[in-house]
Amino acid sequence: MGTARQIVVSVSGLTKAYGATSVLKGVDFSVDRGEVHALLGGNGAGKSTMIRIITGSAAKDAGDIVFHSPSGELRTEAEGRRKIAVVHQELALLPHLTVAENIALPYFANGAALFNRKRAAGQAYDALAMIDREFAATSLQRLIGDLSLHEGQMVEIARALASGAELILLDEPTANLTAQETDRLFTVLRRLTRESGLSVVFVSHRMKEIRQIANVCTIIRDGRTVVDRAATASLTDADIIEKMGQTATAHVSERAAVPTRRALDGEPLIIKENGFRLELRPGTILGVAGAPAGPSTLIATLVGAARSRRWTVSHASWPDSFSSPRQAARLGSGFITGDRSHKGILHSLPIIDNVLASRRVVRGSKVTGVHEQTECLDLMQALKVKAASIWNLPNTLSGGTQQKLLLARWLGLPSRLLVLEEPTRGVDIGTKREIYHLIRQMAASGTVIVWWSTENAELLEVCDRVMAFDTEGRCAGVIENEDLSEDRLAELTGMAA
Amino acid sequence: MTQNTTQASADTKQATFEIQHRESIIGSYRTEIAIAIAIIVLALAVGSQVPQALSWGNFANITQAGAPLIIMSLGVLLVVITGGIDLSVGSVFSLTGMVTAQAMAHGFGGFEASLIGLSVGLLFGSINGFLVTIAGLAPFVVTLITFAVAGSLAFIVTNGRSMPIGDPDFWLLNSGSLVPGMPNYILFCIVLLVVIELFLKKIVAGRWFYAVGSSAQAARLLGIPVKRTTFLAYVASSLLASFSGLLTISYILNAESTAGSSLMLQAIAAVVIGGASLLGGTGTAVGAVLGALMITVIQNGVNLIGINSFWQGSVTGVAILIAVLIDRFSKSRRGAG
Ligand SMILES: Nc1ncnc2c1ncn2[C@@H]1O[C@H](COP(=O)(O)OP(=O)(O)OP(=O)(O)O)[C@@H](O)[C@H]1O
Ligand SMILES: [Mg+2]
Repeated sequence: MGTARQIVVSVSGLTKAYGATSVLKGVDFSVDRGEVHALLGGNGAGKSTMIRIITGSAAKDAGDIVFHSPSGELRTEAEGRRKIAVVHQELALLPHLTVAENIALPYFANGAALFNRKRAAGQAYDALAMIDREFAATSLQRLIGDLSLHEGQMVEIARALASGAELILLDEPTANLTAQETDRLFTVLRRLTRESGLSVVFVSHRMKEIRQIANVCTIIRDGRTVVDRAATASLTDADIIEKMGQTATAHVSERAAVPTRRALDGEPLIIKENGFRLELRPGTILGVAGAPAGPSTLIATLVGAARSRRWTVSHASWPDSFSSPRQAARLGSGFITGDRSHKGILHSLPIIDNVLASRRVVRGSKVTGVHEQTECLDLMQALKVKAASIWNLPNTLSGGTQQKLLLARWLGLPSRLLVLEEPTRGVDIGTKREIYHLIRQMAASGTVIVWWSTENAELLEVCDRVMAFDTEGRCAGVIENEDLSEDRLAELTGMAA
Repeated sequence: MTQNTTQASADTKQATFEIQHRESIIGSYRTEIAIAIAIIVLALAVGSQVPQALSWGNFANITQAGAPLIIMSLGVLLVVITGGIDLSVGSVFSLTGMVTAQAMAHGFGGFEASLIGLSVGLLFGSINGFLVTIAGLAPFVVTLITFAVAGSLAFIVTNGRSMPIGDPDFWLLNSGSLVPGMPNYILFCIVLLVVIELFLKKIVAGRWFYAVGSSAQAARLLGIPVKRTTFLAYVASSLLASFSGLLTISYILNAESTAGSSLMLQAIAAVVIGGASLLGGTGTAVGAVLGALMITVIQNGVNLIGINSFWQGSVTGVAILIAVLIDRFSKSRRGAG
């Protein structure tokens, strides 16, 4: 560091405890003007907690947070926070308002009593167009509640980018984005940091993205800073993973290391769309790639969430179509939603009810029991869930840990089909490998797995075949095991970077 | 830094093996314990002004007066847990009384007349449940409609006149004792409390009430029978309101068209005092019963001290405020939110 640092915010000795659980045990962290700073750490390390404290939505126990202005002067906390924009891990949009209103409302928060629809739309358009011109042109008047998860995420990011903040904190912004959207986001971030000196704090569990966008990184582990402001390029993947405290073998990502499995005997599952027919033998792991519009109707049909005229799914022991998710679940079609916060977690029920929900439905259990507690603990152990008690509410867990609760629901539950929407969203690198392994085990026992992911690398690693959808939502073809490659996927999904 | 690292890894090892799996009674009934203490403090405060407030006789008064509200609150609780609201309970209570008394006047015995009365609850509960689940209307609107309809029917049955009870043994329903030494109204409260609390905590179908109230969308995708659960909640609520109406006329031995009109808001208040959220997904039977008791103790205290009864509403309002603050405080200390 030759030239003097231009610090935007610096945090030192930050501590925070929730009841008896100490979450931050003395974190140091600082961000310079114009840098993209990766904040790294395993699930539950304390990343989101620190972000909440910096933005003032949670209170600290001890430690200092100091804000500086561009000219280097100290700022008060209130002043400093006004220059910060944040995108939290779980979306925080108003579902009954339009996209334009959601983006523009903050501008009208003080002063102007009249909400000027035209001006709001203009501001919202400018903000959204920074990342996606087409989305901006078509979606300003749509209600947030009607948007898909990734569209909602775009709106949040656009709102932050357009806020005029000097520092933006992005807590896993890419977990809900498609590969193409991520690329566009990165282009914008690079431009803004270069041209207007914007600083970005970026949380992600995807090594590739960290390498692409971040020049500096800080690693926290169990509430302590273990690497403070290192140049990202100076650390190897193995270094980073080790510092995060993940297992040493975790970074081995050799597709060849996966033993090729042979399809099992048994009734196949057949997926049909006019003119297209796909037969899945028990034990197949089918990847689904591409923009969400296509996969979502297929998935809704597979799990009985909605009927579709487009798709037919048939199996010897199933009806022509499922009348409800309940029927689907009881006939052995499992589902783990990608919208963890709105469609997955039961927020007012303790962890144990969340984990056992699917088991109770499938088994038709009548009473809860002590044996369930053992089962819940076993599942949590298998997924390395860090929690103080199985009777705590899910919102006492970190985002990635909540994702593990969803996975636990169907893990090891005998089923014919298991549909996974972005199952490793927000899960740390070490646990991801663990999950791949556990899902492969389920496949080996005869379950057909349908795995939708926006992370192509993940599909390449776990899937036998991948069904690709183009940007219009049409099925563009199925790539078989031997032909799978990132280029081929990008080509078929129309998302060549 | 090396030191940091080793210490951190020791922490992880501990964390993975120390997941608490026993449920702490104190932890899960935190709000309820606070309300119970508040009731005792309240009773003592009244007792310091009016000593006979702490007598056995007054205790019997309070439980007797409170029993209908307790039972009605348990029903409203079930609906509130699923994220709904039932505004029709007071009207169903009144209508049940009128219909039962009228049936006796037409020569039915107490038992048959009671069944006819309960069918009022079954009918209105089913209408509420049907309109909320199948027709997909908002619970507030649906039960506002049945509140109005049942309320007016309660007048129509007798043209607005009050009805004395015909069956001479009917009082046994409230004050007889199936279990020696315990009047029936207490027995009914205890049995319903225990049954509903166990149902909500230990029976899978009971857990589904919370799941539906937590997020109907998530519950549906999980394969939980959302409509059936919601329907059941409204039927149970109306049936309990009906039963509560029967209990009241068997005590007063007279049925009036407006008997239940103040009870609906009190029942909702009781549920909220007991720690349930009107947004759904939380609440316990113990809490609802304690909430109802608290309201009854306040009313009783206001009477005994001789405060103008017009103040009752204000005092109850303050009590709700305090209870909700206690609840919020105990939750925020737990760190949620
Ligand atoms: N409200 C709360 N009450 C109790 N504990 C909490 C609360 N919020 C967070 N925690 C605990 O604090 C720890 C850190 O959580 P945090 O959300 O900051 O993790 P994170 O680093 O963002 O993880 P992830 O990568 O999974 O998002 C976790 O162990 C979590 O269980
Ligand atoms: Mg987080």
